[in-house]
Amino acid sequence: MSDLDDFKATYFDECSELLTELEEQFAAISDGERTPDRLNAVFRAIHSIKGGAGAFGFSALVGFAHAYETLLDHVRDGRIDLSDEVSKLCVRANDIVADFVAAAREGQALASDYGQEEKQRFDALCSGDDDGGAPIDDFDIEFVPVMVNLGGDAPAESDSFEAPPLAGATGQWEIHFAPHSELYARANDPLLLFRELATLGELTLRAVLSDVPPLGDFEPHGVYCSWEISLVAPATIEAKILEVFEFVEGNCDLSVVYLGAEALEAAEAAPVAEAAEEVAFPSFGDLAASIAPTPRPEPVIRTEPMTLRATPAPEPTAAHPEAETERRNGVQSIRVDLDKVDRVVNMVGELVITQSMLTQQMDETLRARYQELVRGLEVLAQTTRGLQDSVMAIRAQPVKSVFSRMPRLARELAQKTGKKIRLETIGENTEIDKTVIEQLSDPLTHMIRNSADHGIESPEKRIANGKPDTGVIRLSAEQAGGNILIIVEDDGAGINREKVLQVARDRGVIAPEAQLTDEQIDQLIFAPGFSTADAVSDISGRGVGMDVVLSNIKKIGGSVHVRSWTGRGTRMTLRLPLTLAVLDVMLVKVATSPYVIPLSSIVETIQCSRADFGRAPSGAKVLQVRGEYVQVIDLAIRFELPSDAHENNRFVVLCEAEGSVKVALIVDDIIGQQQVVIKSLEENFERIEGIAGGTILGDGNVALIVDVQGLKSMHLEHRNAA
Amino acid sequence: MRVLTVDDSRTILAMLHHTLSNAGFEVLQAEDGQKGLDVLKTQQVDVVITDINMPVMDGIEFIKHVRAGGNHNSLPILILTTETSQDKRDQGRAAGGTGWIVKPFDPEKLISVIHRVVH
Amino acid sequence: MEALGFRDDAADRTAAIAQNSLQLIAFSIGEQTYGVEITTVREIRAWNGATPLPNTREFVRGVINLRGTIVPIFDLRARFGDGQTSPTKNHVVVVLSVGDKWVGILVDAVSDILTVSKDDIHNVPEGNSVDTELLNGIVTHDSRMVGLIDLHAVVSGAKADA
Repeated sequence: MSDLDDFKATYFDECSELLTELEEQFAAISDGERTPDRLNAVFRAIHSIKGGAGAFGFSALVGFAHAYETLLDHVRDGRIDLSDEVSKLCVRANDIVADFVAAAREGQALASDYGQEEKQRFDALCSGDDDGGAPIDDFDIEFVPVMVNLGGDAPAESDSFEAPPLAGATGQWEIHFAPHSELYARANDPLLLFRELATLGELTLRAVLSDVPPLGDFEPHGVYCSWEISLVAPATIEAKILEVFEFVEGNCDLSVVYLGAEALEAAEAAPVAEAAEEVAFPSFGDLAASIAPTPRPEPVIRTEPMTLRATPAPEPTAAHPEAETERRNGVQSIRVDLDKVDRVVNMVGELVITQSMLTQQMDETLRARYQELVRGLEVLAQTTRGLQDSVMAIRAQPVKSVFSRMPRLARELAQKTGKKIRLETIGENTEIDKTVIEQLSDPLTHMIRNSADHGIESPEKRIANGKPDTGVIRLSAEQAGGNILIIVEDDGAGINREKVLQVARDRGVIAPEAQLTDEQIDQLIFAPGFSTADAVSDISGRGVGMDVVLSNIKKIGGSVHVRSWTGRGTRMTLRLPLTLAVLDVMLVKVATSPYVIPLSSIVETIQCSRADFGRAPSGAKVLQVRGEYVQVIDLAIRFELPSDAHENNRFVVLCEAEGSVKVALIVDDIIGQQQVVIKSLEENFERIEGIAGGTILGDGNVALIVDVQGLKSMHLEHRNAA
Repeated sequence: MRVLTVDDSRTILAMLHHTLSNAGFEVLQAEDGQKGLDVLKTQQVDVVITDINMPVMDGIEFIKHVRAGGNHNSLPILILTTETSQDKRDQGRAAGGTGWIVKPFDPEKLISVIHRVVH
Repeated sequence: MEALGFRDDAADRTAAIAQNSLQLIAFSIGEQTYGVEITTVREIRAWNGATPLPNTREFVRGVINLRGTIVPIFDLRARFGDGQTSPTKNHVVVVLSVGDKWVGILVDAVSDILTVSKDDIHNVPEGNSVDTELLNGIVTHDSRMVGLIDLHAVVSGAKADA
């Protein structure tokens, strides 16, 4: 049923948010912030997860969550002290809940004893406190999962209210009902109770007004009326009758007695006045009015006996139009299907293209002649830009959702490696495109694994080296211009360059005689086919190395850079685009082909005639900029395009690749700056080295996006291979 | 008829919305007690269904505030909770709750309970 | 019959076509006629240039914009080893779906829609390695020989170093 699937999707979305919340709260709690607010938040998160799980019949999850919730309930009201041990147990329990949720999402079952050990420990802890509280195991009785039934075919068992009188003897029930004032204070209404009683059988009501005081003593909120009720219904219906009064129990005097069939016959003998089909029960106002003309000290007013018929449920009333508008003011947020947002993103992308196409059509003559049009186009450009930013903001999400999965990973890694590891996260509210976030999880996992496995040393070794025994892995996110930087750094041993170089040579990743700088050596850990682990370890292993990180990050238009300090640690930096969809670029020409270079990587442009070229000892062309020698890549040569531009008319586009390493690209012409929508080449073709994708220009032609970092590494490979 | 549903769980709000709107109710939503009070300031509703455990303002406080306002003495409030322990329910009633619904709820039972407390 | 092996498209064949026959779009390169199954054809358009892709083999003519999607164009003449086509406005790009990708092939002209019997499809004679690599079979129609293009083979090996 699709509705049910929708609810499940909502539920699992909510679960991941709640699990994130749990991680955060426990991180704060373990930092010593054991505030009631945090404990309450933790309790509520588990409570909500359990509530939804019950509705979908995820009984394993319900069972575990219930036991855990009980423990948390004890913790939050102080019956159990949140010792380190309990705290650790809770963190473990969070992981188990996450596993149960994941299993439910995938429709898989976990081992039947999964989490049982922890559950027993909850049990032991909770039973250890003498206050008692509900025993944990009774949840089966009080918390029976009921599947949501959304179809028209309702389960038969719930039909009881509309069911015909049950089989068996029918007789007369005598009910005395005297409400207390609290009953009214809680908005219970006797009339509704009578209406419900009337569904059980034939109902006769008699109001007892003997307690109504003289008018002078009448209190508006006083309760002076009680009822004698006789109900002709099956003898077996007592539970149903009591259920009617369930909500008012303790707020009224109630007696329910079965008089049997004989009483019924006797009653039938007595004349009973037929009442009108629908008789409204007199309100207190009416009663007071009827009392007024007869202010006798002890009035004995006998009201007509009335028969109430079961009335159909009230028809739903239509919304008031003015209420409709009022209600909208209360709405703070809505949830929108991502597909819908993406459709808008795509359309905005096309709008950007159309707008830039229109702008390009305006040549100087047209500009001079149609100034209004020019102004209109400028406004259009501005509005388009604003629209684009707004749409992108909708897709942006805090990196928290992926960061929050990492503490668990760090705990597991610490356990497996026997090292002491503390994970610190910074900047988790930094926002980035949702699609980018989804692609981040795997690379981050690999990087943290790598740090735990190769970076952080064993506690003994750390102490021997004068470091604290606990190693720190710091995960941080920050925005830097048009990019997001995600940094994973550790205070471990740093990259073992000798070993990396040796392995790279052994595996043919680099030529045997290649001379590499320290930085180039560090970068080798991302090279395809490279893995420094002598044996494929359980942790960093699984047959994939850090090259997966690089290819995943490249796929989303980002880059990776690593720096290492021997004995002090390693820092890996992911540079990611703020959004996948739109790029500010410089449009250039190489031979007759249009290319675009991301503005974010451009430092400056220089006319070739003014550029200070030289030759490196190897014979390679280099550019001298402010005392720095920069590698030169002629795009016409690199891309094997026939350029007939005169050398002096060409341009140098000075770019910055990873780690602030500069590279000079030579192009034939510079056309201008614009925004482009990134299109995939791989969708219908395949990846080409040095090309990050394509884009469609205003004239409808395709331009290719230059991958600066890719070109640089490519060049390196070529040189090494040569 | 208009129902205000107050719950911090989107799943529960979505399910309530589905069940209630199928039964012909107009459904308003709030994520916690404070937001529920905000809704009641501007909106007329016929019945309120509220969770107990919520951030910012929990269900008990919410009911107390509703009743204390004086304008909503006859507004039925149903407590929606998985807390089947008597003390939570009693707290809810003491605060002024009209009745309760145990989660997970059966849609038909939910409707019949609403009809027990509202005209 | 299975020699035809239009791998992903077998299921798409419409029921309207008799079980034992195939509809082909026929096109020409010089004197030679080739065909692809009609169900794979997405669009036929006149040549309007393409943006060259660097570091690819000569038969990859570049990419075009097809309603917002980037589609690569393969020069079929060059693919058969007869040198690059010098395209004019009269040349034609046939856009096809191959697996889950869309590709265009540059041909001289589209000539016909042919209905052929599967029984008339012959294996490609051994000898010419390019033909055996790129054709699924040969069918005779009105005494013309029509080569059935193996699209998967045509689009593979596009990179310069491949």
